[in-house]
Amino acid sequence: MNYNKPELIDKLAAEYVLGTMSARVRRRFQKILRTSLATQRAVQDWEQRLTPLARAVPAVKPRAATWDAIERRTGGAARTAEKSSGSFLGLIKPALGVAFGVLATLGVVRLFPDAVIPIDKIVQSRSTLPESYVGLLTDANNNPVVLASSTRHGKTMSIKMLRKVDVPAGKVLQLWAIPAEGAAFPLGVVPAEGKSTFQMADTSEKLLSKVPRLGVSIEDAPVQTGAQPSTYVLTGNCVKLW
Amino acid sequence: MLQDAFVNIWNRASGYQAALSQPMTCLTAIVRNRALDELRSSARHAAESLADEETGTTHDIEDASPGPQALLEQAGDALAIRDCLDEIEGPQRQCLALAFYQGLSHAEVAAHIGSPIGSVKGWIRRALDKLKRCLDRLA
Repeated sequence: MNYNKPELIDKLAAEYVLGTMSARVRRRFQKILRTSLATQRAVQDWEQRLTPLARAVPAVKPRAATWDAIERRTGGAARTAEKSSGSFLGLIKPALGVAFGVLATLGVVRLFPDAVIPIDKIVQSRSTLPESYVGLLTDANNNPVVLASSTRHGKTMSIKMLRKVDVPAGKVLQLWAIPAEGAAFPLGVVPAEGKSTFQMADTSEKLLSKVPRLGVSIEDAPVQTGAQPSTYVLTGNCVKLW
Repeated sequence: MLQDAFVNIWNRASGYQAALSQPMTCLTAIVRNRALDELRSSARHAAESLADEETGTTHDIEDASPGPQALLEQAGDALAIRDCLDEIEGPQRQCLALAFYQGLSHAEVAAHIGSPIGSVKGWIRRALDKLKRCLDRLA
């Protein structure tokens, strides 16, 4: 099978996200997914299209005993980790309710409202653009390349690549917040082309209220908190849309 | 099953690749895939068990309440994409709803509605194509 064909990648990505693949075919596809950027993008696109359909599925809260059992089986490590910021527990606890809903209905429950409500629907309902942070990053020739936007109190950053960026194999495009004072800090990874979203560590309001500039650097891998950028290949203003 | 999935995720957290997917999306996908495997395995065993007993009946997958098509309609209203979903009609709509909301494979959808698997694959593919085109237009 030629996995370089965009039509085939799109078809397989759709089946993967929809869940119609058999376990054997899914495992084979997941191997490709680990190394193929095009496949990763196709899956992300289909997740964005199909995941919102799960909004009709009510979340189901798991029994308290479920979490207790998980804690016992992880040797109490989860509870210890909770004390540190950005812990796995912080991630996994809301996911428990989500996952339990999945089990009950085999749909994917709404996770982050601002991630799944299309922005045009918000605009239609309010007749105004929502309060948001917006960044427009340009290259050395002042060509607009990245449009980054996030609602003021949301944690989802939406990225639209206005033109393709050539990224060396194995490298990633890292988006940075550049505060007026203090060191730059990483926000997330953006794709070389197309659209994507990622979850930020906190709300836009908390992260970006004192950030007048954004930058993108090419890194070996998504960086951790505390890291510093190599060299910015794209930069631009970050403005408040209200 | 939920416990097993989350304990496995915990034990293998170091292998998480941030570039592949968002953490919550990744968690949900792992649990959903695990649930699909479990459900399909249970359905297979139940069918074999029934066959062994020569009951002459087949294993039916119970309809949830509300049903998958009702959930699809609710999603259309909640997301204000009803126009997009209305473009998907008849067996295409039925197959898409069964696959997404009841987690049925192509073969299971085919058995559920009594149609050839080739037809089911085509209907689902066309439903997804229509949804993609319409949502991309809206975006």
